[in-house]
Amino acid sequence: MNKPQRNPEIVWRVEKRRQAEVLKALEAGEDADNRGTVILIQSGMMHQLNLVGGMIWERCDGQRTLVEIADEMATEFAVERSELEADVHEFVTDLIKRGWLIND
Amino acid sequence: MTETTEMLSAPLTFNWTLSYRCNFACDHCYSRDETCPELPTSDILKIVDVLVEQQVPFVNFGGGEPLIRKDLLEVAAYASGRGLNVSMNTNGWLLDDEAAQQLKDAGFKSVGISIDSFEADKHDAFRNMPGSFDRAVSGLDALQKVGLKSTMSSVISRINYQSYHELLDLARAHGVGQVYLHNFKCSGRGFKNREELDLSPNEWQAFYLEALAVKNRTTDLKISFDDPVISSLPDYQEKTMVKGSSCGKLSLHLRPNGDITPCGFIPVVVGNILHDDFATIWYDSPVLKAMRSKSATGKCSGCSAFDDCQGGCTARAFATTGDFNQPDPHCWK
Repeated sequence: MNKPQRNPEIVWRVEKRRQAEVLKALEAGEDADNRGTVILIQSGMMHQLNLVGGMIWERCDGQRTLVEIADEMATEFAVERSELEADVHEFVTDLIKRGWLIND
Repeated sequence: MTETTEMLSAPLTFNWTLSYRCNFACDHCYSRDETCPELPTSDILKIVDVLVEQQVPFVNFGGGEPLIRKDLLEVAAYASGRGLNVSMNTNGWLLDDEAAQQLKDAGFKSVGISIDSFEADKHDAFRNMPGSFDRAVSGLDALQKVGLKSTMSSVISRINYQSYHELLDLARAHGVGQVYLHNFKCSGRGFKNREELDLSPNEWQAFYLEALAVKNRTTDLKISFDDPVISSLPDYQEKTMVKGSSCGKLSLHLRPNGDITPCGFIPVVVGNILHDDFATIWYDSPVLKAMRSKSATGKCSGCSAFDDCQGGCTARAFATTGDFNQPDPHCWK
């Protein structure tokens, strides 16, 4: 797995107002894992990604390696670097299996 | 995860009527008797900019007949160039090989052609246009020739509900990948002619039971329905993006003057895309709010299907009773 890229067949958008609400909720110490911030539409079905998933998704542009994505995420979240890298790896692997990301 | 209607900051699709003008006068048409001033191209392009700004991913041109608008190609090219996924529905009359190529060049992702019967004379009579069946089929062939994805739309009514298999075969024979079997709407001419054209609730139930079984065993053609009343069928398993009607939740409709309505079949204006703040319309419109949170009324009260069907098609309920919350007149329960 080198530089994952979003499947161009998938239509997606960041729900900015929702994203701002989730960030606010996180600042207030609330759990927002199950709150979607990015929608993906594929074959007439809509899927949601939560804040962390959405941020990884936005960075999967075929230009960044997993390490680079984890590096960028590390500036946003106070999480152990190794844990973050493992999370990114797990998430990207799952989305490649679903066909939502393409492994470049 | 979050409820879809709370999540979305804009619809996924705008169904856009650029003009109510049409070269046909179909018996079931919701819009044939509508009149509305049309916008100049410059304003149409401004609307595209608003849609891009609001991150609306899909635009579907309908009508009226979209190919009648002289600037359709310019508008579509601009919209697709700005990243929108552009499609349209046409009666096919003006869709020859050259037009098909022009539509492809303008960036259309798919083009749908309406065909109501597999029998030319029935289709032509229904559309009050001799020769329209042949032109529609030839339009499908033209799309296939230039490699532009085609879909076929058939409004289910008394003229075709027992012969939709043949419509599916017709689609297969002309390279269509997806067939929409639309539910009959009691709007416009469809309202005036509904006694003659609409099915009874029990006939709708029987139609959907069979058509769903056909859909489930069909692998070479995608068959789509857009009728929320289906979800009240026993064993209906399909996952939909929202419960009930998608209008006002996943999609909105634009009239030729930029007025926004929840869908083409509900003539209630909730704002104007050029003059009003879009977010205010989307989040605060009392009409859209009412459509997103319907209350079970009449026979829907206490019905176990209401959670899934949300009273069925809001447009049909509104057209026949003037109340969004009334049960869909097609409901068989």
